[in-house]
Amino acid sequence: MIRLSSMMPKAFLMGIVKLVDMIGPEETDKWIISIGKKLGDREGPGFEGAREDGINYMPICPFANELVEFVEIDGERPPQFMDIIKSTNKRREQSDRGWEFPAISNIFCIFHHSYRKHRAEMAGNTMLHLGCKSPLSSMVAYNDKAIEKAGMSRDDVDKVLEKSICVFKVQESKTE
Amino acid sequence: MNQIEALKLYENSIKILKKNQHEKGGYYASPPGTRYPFIYPRDHSIDILGAIAGGLMDEAKKGLEFMLKSQKPSGEFSQRYDVDGNDASYKDLQIDGNGLILFSLGKYFEATGGSFFEEMADREFVLEHWDTIEKTVEFILMNKNEEVDLIHTINSIHEYPAYEHGFEIYANCACCAGIFAAVKMGQAIDKDVSKWESEAETIKNAILTRMYSPRRRSFIKCIRVKDKKSNPIGYDAFASSVIDVDVVEYSPAYFELIAEYDVKNISTVKRIHEQLWDKEIGGLNRYPELWGRNNGGYGPWCHFTCQLANHYTAIDNKDMAEMYLGWVVEMAHNYQLPEHISTIERFEMWLEDYTNAKILRDSKMTMIENTRNHPKWKYGLAYVTIPLIWPHAEYIRAYVNYMDKFHPQ
Repeated sequence: MIRLSSMMPKAFLMGIVKLVDMIGPEETDKWIISIGKKLGDREGPGFEGAREDGINYMPICPFANELVEFVEIDGERPPQFMDIIKSTNKRREQSDRGWEFPAISNIFCIFHHSYRKHRAEMAGNTMLHLGCKSPLSSMVAYNDKAIEKAGMSRDDVDKVLEKSICVFKVQESKTE
Repeated sequence: MNQIEALKLYENSIKILKKNQHEKGGYYASPPGTRYPFIYPRDHSIDILGAIAGGLMDEAKKGLEFMLKSQKPSGEFSQRYDVDGNDASYKDLQIDGNGLILFSLGKYFEATGGSFFEEMADREFVLEHWDTIEKTVEFILMNKNEEVDLIHTINSIHEYPAYEHGFEIYANCACCAGIFAAVKMGQAIDKDVSKWESEAETIKNAILTRMYSPRRRSFIKCIRVKDKKSNPIGYDAFASSVIDVDVVEYSPAYFELIAEYDVKNISTVKRIHEQLWDKEIGGLNRYPELWGRNNGGYGPWCHFTCQLANHYTAIDNKDMAEMYLGWVVEMAHNYQLPEHISTIERFEMWLEDYTNAKILRDSKMTMIENTRNHPKWKYGLAYVTIPLIWPHAEYIRAYVNYMDKFHPQ
C-alpha cells in the first residue's frame, strides 16, 4: 500500500516507467543521469562507502527497500526498467570508455552511479563501478571494463560482494 | 588524585594531539590503522578546543583551516572526511558539527586576542573565512523549526537516530553556541549580525524552556520529530519525548549558554551523577544501559567524565572534580585513553545480544579482536578503541582548568 508520506520515491520510479513510454529508454537514461549529476553538484566532492584496501563498498543498497516495495506492489518488474538496462548495457559494451558506465543490477544503479561518479570527479578523481548484487534476485552484475581498468578480476569483486551489495573503486584521473 | 600521573597524562595527551594531526590539518578520530582513521567534525572540533587549551595555537588554526575548506555547497559539514577534506560520510545529517566548528573557531578567535583582544585577535582569519561562516550559520537556521524555535537533526553526539532524531539537546546547544560565536566574530569585524543574534537568543530561550523539565528538575534529551518542517509538530509521526537521563543534558552549561552555577544545571548534573556514574567501575556512562546500544559492552566514557570534571571544577567542588578527573587518570593505559571501558561480562553480554539479533556488523570484528587482545582484558576490563583522540582533548581542557583553579602556579 502506498502511503502518502512515502510516495515520492515511488513517484520517481513511476516517472521512469512513463518516461520510457514517452521518449524511449536512451533519453530516459540521460534524464536519470542528469538528475544524479545535479544532486551530486549540490552535495559536493566526496567518496561513498566503507573503504578497505583501496576498494569502496556499500554493505546495503540505500535504494533496495523502495525498489522491492515498488515491484511488490506492481507484482512484477516493469519491462521499461529492463529496456533501459539493456540499452545502457549495450552502449557500455560498444563504448571504448565502458569503464565509465555502471554495473547495473537494478534501475537505481544508473542514478546512483551518475551521482557517485560525479562527486568523485569533483574531488579530482573518478569512480569505477565494479559490480553489485540485485536486491530482487540472486543476479550479480559486473562491469568487466571497469574491473579490467581497476586491475582486478571478477573473483576479486566477488570476495568483496560476500560482505556487501555494491563494489566500486576510486580511480585517480591521471591514471586514465 | 595522583598529581604526578595526572601531569604525565596531560603531557602525553599533548603529544597524542600533535601526533594525530594530519599534515593537511585534520585530526584523526583514532590513529591510522585503527577504528576511526577519518576526520569527524565533532571530534575534530573538540580536538581544536584541546589544542587551544594546551597552547597549540598553530595546530588549532591549521585544524580550523582544514575544516572550513571542507564545507559542502549547502553549508553543511559532513559526518566525516578523508585526509584531503573529501566527504567520506555514511550517515545522515549531524548538525551539531556545524555548531561545533563555529564554537571552536570562536574559541580560537578569543584565544588569539586574550587580554589584548582589540590589538591581537586574528581578525584576518575570520575575514578570510567569513563566507564559510555565513553559510554555516544559514545552514543551521535552515533547519530551525519555526513552531518551537529549535534546530532539527537526524543524528547527534551518539550517532543514534532512534534516540536523537528530532530536536536534540546537544545539537541545539552546539548550534546555538555556534551562532553566538559567529555573532561575536562578526561584531569584531564590523558585520551586521543582529539577525543572527536575535535567532540565537530565540533558540536559547527554547532550549531553556521546551527542553527543561521542572518536575524532573533536569534538561531532557530530545523531542522526537521526524520532519523538521512538521507543522504542527504534534501531528508528526515520531512526536514524543526522550526523557531518559543522558550525559549531554549538561550541554547548556558545556556550551556556555547558562552558568555552571545555574540551578537548572546543578540539578541536571545531580541526576546525571546519580544515574550514570558507574557503580561497578566508576566513570560516567553516556545513557542508561537499557537503550541496548552498547558497542563493546556498556560502560563509562572518558571524554564525558572529563566534561563533568570540568563542571565540578567550575563550581569549586574539588572532591568531585578529583573523583572524576582522578578516575580518568587511573584508567589511562600507558597514558592513553580509550573511547570507553567495559567489563568482560558486559562485553560478552553485548556480543551475545548483537549476535543473536544478527545486528553485529563485520566492521566490529576488528574492535572485538583488539579489545580481547588488550592487556587490560586480563584484569577483567574491556578497553574499547584505544587511543581515541577526543578524550585526550577533553582531558587537556579539564586538567588545565583543574590546575588553574586548585593549584595555580
